[in-house]
Amino acid sequence: MKFIRRVLLAVSVASAVAGVIRFKGKGVGAIKQGGWRKVTDPKQN
Amino acid sequence: MIGIGGAGVVGSRVAETLRLFSHQQICVYDTEQIIAQRLAGRLSGGEYQISVVDRNAMKSAKVVVLCGPSPHFSIAKELLDASVSVVSTSDDIADCLNLLTLSQLAIENKATLIVGAASSPGMSGLLVRHLAESFDSIDEVHVALHGTGGPACARQHHRALSGQSIGWHDGEWLRRPAGSGRELCWFPEPVGAYDCYRGELPDPLLIKRAFPELERVTGRVTATRRDRVFSRVPMMIPPQAEGGMGGLRVEVRGMKSGARLVDVIAVAERVGQVAGVVAASTAHAIVTNKIDKPGAHVLGDKSMPNSWLVSQICGAGINLHSFVRA
Repeated sequence: MKFIRRVLLAVSVASAVAGVIRFKGKGVGAIKQGGWRKVTDPKQN
Repeated sequence: MIGIGGAGVVGSRVAETLRLFSHQQICVYDTEQIIAQRLAGRLSGGEYQISVVDRNAMKSAKVVVLCGPSPHFSIAKELLDASVSVVSTSDDIADCLNLLTLSQLAIENKATLIVGAASSPGMSGLLVRHLAESFDSIDEVHVALHGTGGPACARQHHRALSGQSIGWHDGEWLRRPAGSGRELCWFPEPVGAYDCYRGELPDPLLIKRAFPELERVTGRVTATRRDRVFSRVPMMIPPQAEGGMGGLRVEVRGMKSGARLVDVIAVAERVGQVAGVVAASTAHAIVTNKIDKPGAHVLGDKSMPNSWLVSQICGAGINLHSFVRA
């Protein structure tokens, strides 16, 4: 019983930490340098 | 007459593109005849005639585009024996290597075999050649693919993450576990940034064949954590009928005017659409004798009408995006 309680506690702490990292994490933002330009005529590139 | 082997996502796009190129006589073969009949019914009309045929009847075509699941080796051999040119969209390494061994058979029968005429491989080789023209010399090519076409393509993508990736590195072929080597790659919008991992892709093999001067070639695919975790077990959830928006990114490094230069070009489009347009444009080139050299070839090779093919592909609605620095 004690073991199960410990496992459940560990799982819930790990889930909470993972959730915080996932939602508060910085993540990937937009490109800050440069970007994509559509090539209208391939010979012009 | 042009034949299409496989009436799935890529086969449908091939038929639509061939119609766009005004090919009036098209025959379709699929192991499930009802799918071929549905495609023929949807696209036939007016002066365009799409007929459903059996496997043997494909031998009366001038060129056959193989769009079904790999392997394509046995059907390609049958067709080449009957002097029918073949365009294969196979994206399986072993199948591509086996197809390349049919070169002598193709020469003997005065037929042409194009190996890997899809999105990746295929479009990737064309984009490398397109970028290489603006360099004095190139030595590195890195390809990244996002998304899948039809269900067979999705299964191949699943397998690609669990096998052995192959890449050319400073004069030797390096094998690394697929799913390793994370690299963040930016694709044009609406795809955006994705983590890419080494994958069991035939691109390095085929690109190296077209560009023997290269010193490093790699191929990567985008994958989520779930893709990587479950790549080593069979697909438990059946793939969707067609993947969503995909992307292909080609990075070329080399020398220009004495300076080291990196150039990136990409496509953001459904993978099945790109594969279909590339395969159809290649078949169109064979029918109009733009490609008339017998033997097995890959796109991007110097003997191919690469610029013409890129123009045709862009004309069919595939937009290229070039990365520009701020």
